[in-house]
Amino acid sequence: MDIYYLTCRSLTYAQRVSRSLTAAGLRNMIVRAPRHMSREGCGYAVRIDAGEPGRALGVLASAGVPPKRVFRQMREGGYEEVPF
Amino acid sequence: MIYLDSAATTFQKPRQVKAAVARALDTCSSPGRGGYKLAMNAAEELFRCRERAARLFNVPDVERVAVTFNATHGLNIAIRSLARPGDRVVISGWEHNSVLRPLHALGADIAVAWSPLFDRDAAIRAFDFALTGDTRCAVVNHVSNVFGFELPVYEIAALCRKRGVPLIVDASQSAGVLPVDYAALGADFVAMPGHKGLYGPQGTGILIAPGDVTPLLYGGSGSDSMNPDMPPYLPDRLEAGTHNMPGVAGLSAGLDFVERTGIDAIAGHERALIRRLIRGLSGISGVRVFASPDHGRQTGVLSFTLDAMGSEEAGERLGAMGFAVRTGLHCSPLAHKSAGTLRTGTIRASVSYFNTAAEIDAFIEAVSAAARGS
Repeated sequence: MDIYYLTCRSLTYAQRVSRSLTAAGLRNMIVRAPRHMSREGCGYAVRIDAGEPGRALGVLASAGVPPKRVFRQMREGGYEEVPF
Repeated sequence: MIYLDSAATTFQKPRQVKAAVARALDTCSSPGRGGYKLAMNAAEELFRCRERAARLFNVPDVERVAVTFNATHGLNIAIRSLARPGDRVVISGWEHNSVLRPLHALGADIAVAWSPLFDRDAAIRAFDFALTGDTRCAVVNHVSNVFGFELPVYEIAALCRKRGVPLIVDASQSAGVLPVDYAALGADFVAMPGHKGLYGPQGTGILIAPGDVTPLLYGGSGSDSMNPDMPPYLPDRLEAGTHNMPGVAGLSAGLDFVERTGIDAIAGHERALIRRLIRGLSGISGVRVFASPDHGRQTGVLSFTLDAMGSEEAGERLGAMGFAVRTGLHCSPLAHKSAGTLRTGTIRASVSYFNTAAEIDAFIEAVSAAARGS
């Protein structure tokens, strides 16, 4: 199971994302985005544990709340951006 | 003390509002300022408040619900967002100083759509006439804070949409008392206090806003921190500085109370009390009552005057007898000018869901005694 971070422009937006994922039965958690994920500073992300983020992204697209960017936490440390 | 000043502030709050305020002091720090539990508790409480407001006022996007200090704060934002100095702004003749003063300070060209008291058709005709091609925006009070007069805000909103004029609705006296449907109105802004019909604490309010807004305050938002300007998105753009979390929690509980009780039940109770008061006061010699001929269009607010004494004196007398009422001009000289009561002012009694028929009967007795000069 990989860990993905869906970055959001604001905390309120992250809460919308979180509500949509929860409604679809997808476990998630709002966290402070690691600095390099949020170039603007003080960003929030929604963390999901999933084999792949496709279902979550589909749910969010349907709900009209796509994330800003998607990152995968690498097992060896660090994060890589996942295009979507 | 029998409290009849709910048009200013609903003093009797649901017990869950008081509990929510106390709980927030124990469990909430600052939303958007950290990922630790107390900060996230606050974030959840704030978001729940937005969700409840969005549901109650039919706002399609929860991010459009901004938390303010009161309705005045929201109206100032709305006016600054839409109007520039010299712009023609059409307002009703029933606006509060929370509209008149910001427009005056801005240097707007204020055009008043005057109409007689309780004449809804005349109000529509006045806006129809005043909304000229050079009108920058319009402001309309949903309910007069002095007379409880329900203005035809949906009809005026339709006129504004037809003319392409952005509209600001002051829902200070209607939020929690009448249906306020943001999507159906098609207004740009709807401003309301939290401490009146929504039963929240003082120092809270809600502004429902479109995407393009001008902040009134600048400062930290817990987001987009590298940007020297406020974030370009809502609600962060309008919420600089730390939130009033005990207030927000209380407001959220108040919204929940209103939703669970039902707008119809609240409005029905308040209208029944006001009808009772109208009947009682109308039978007293020397009392002039400002009652709508169509009681269905008057909320739980009633103004009256006494022949025997001035409004302020009457208010003092009633206060000494244990009744809390508001007297004078009620920060609404325009409304008094419209009704012809600018010289005398009025005595205003306003009820909430927590007032009773027995309290109204006691008040009628007290007014009767005051009118007799005893």
